Amino acid sequence: MAGAEGFVEADNAEAIMIRIEHKTRKIESLLKQYKPVEALRTALEGTHAMTRDERCKSAHWIVVHRALMAIKDVDGMLSSLDSEYYDILMKYLYKGLSTGDRPTCEQCLRIHEKLTERAGFGCILRQKLAFQGTALPMYCKRDGLFPQHMQRSYFSM
Amino acid sequence: MASTLRLYLTCIRNTLEAAMCLQNFPCQEVERHNKPEVELKTSPELLLNPVLICRNEAEKCLIETSINSLRISLKVKQADELENILTKKFLRFLSMRAEAFQVLRRKPVQGYDISFLITNYHCEEMQKHKLIDFIVQFMEDIDKEISELKMSANTRGRLVATEFLKQFI
Repeated sequence: MAGAEGFVEADNAEAIMIRIEHKTRKIESLLKQYKPVEALRTALEGTHAMTRDERCKSAHWIVVHRALMAIKDVDGMLSSLDSEYYDILMKYLYKGLSTGDRPTCEQCLRIHEKLTERAGFGCILRQKLAFQGTALPMYCKRDGLFPQHMQRSYFSM
Repeated sequence: MASTLRLYLTCIRNTLEAAMCLQNFPCQEVERHNKPEVELKTSPELLLNPVLICRNEAEKCLIETSINSLRISLKVKQADELENILTKKFLRFLSMRAEAFQVLRRKPVQGYDISFLITNYHCEEMQKHKLIDFIVQFMEDIDKEISELKMSANTRGRLVATEFLKQFI
């Protein structure tokens, strides 16, 4: 997972919004150069930052959504994307699937199938079936499903 | 259209495959009781985030998981008023006979047409992949059933109208 070795505790929502704006400009320029995979990678970076601000979460989603919809070759994209991005990508795929918007759902379903083949069921379980409560259940700590350094970042969505 | 259905069912199958990791867990609130935690929702540490998978604006599937139970709620596509009535009647017919299905819930969750409740006991008695196959097959067959019911209702209506109006010729 990108930045898993040191997730950033970001209290300043404004700083995150400014970063997202810079990212949006960079993504638009990459898409104009027909580099959708780089655009998606840029969009997924930094989204692990811990924030409870809904505006930041929405802004992250909008940026990732823009990059996701530009992907035409899913197999090529997954081959080029590092495996550390798989968990974050799965998180955003489920967010896209919950929107109900037909084109978004179709694209997310296409990517979800291929990503599951590559990353396995653990990716689904870690990312979207993360926990509502503030304490991880004992059985997950014991089974090592959530390694210590990743635990806090799973609450950001 | 068919490819979107295949992708939708594959997504649900994969999500269920990941989510159906259930174990026995007695109730923390009341001793000597064992209840499906996904229904009670009393202990947040035992619940996982619900997953909503939408195929489009009309069709969706909600998967809610807890430590010892899993609830799957389906919203079936209903293009017009007739399909709406047929779906409601047909799924109500099935829900009334929930004991025969074992994993079917008597009442669907609010906002959905039909719900399944799978507990750790079902996973012990039955095979996990068979349970998932059943759910996915059910979703495929329900669309065909509703279409057949609609065609048969339209055919009957046409025949009745033809016969009735013959007397006025």
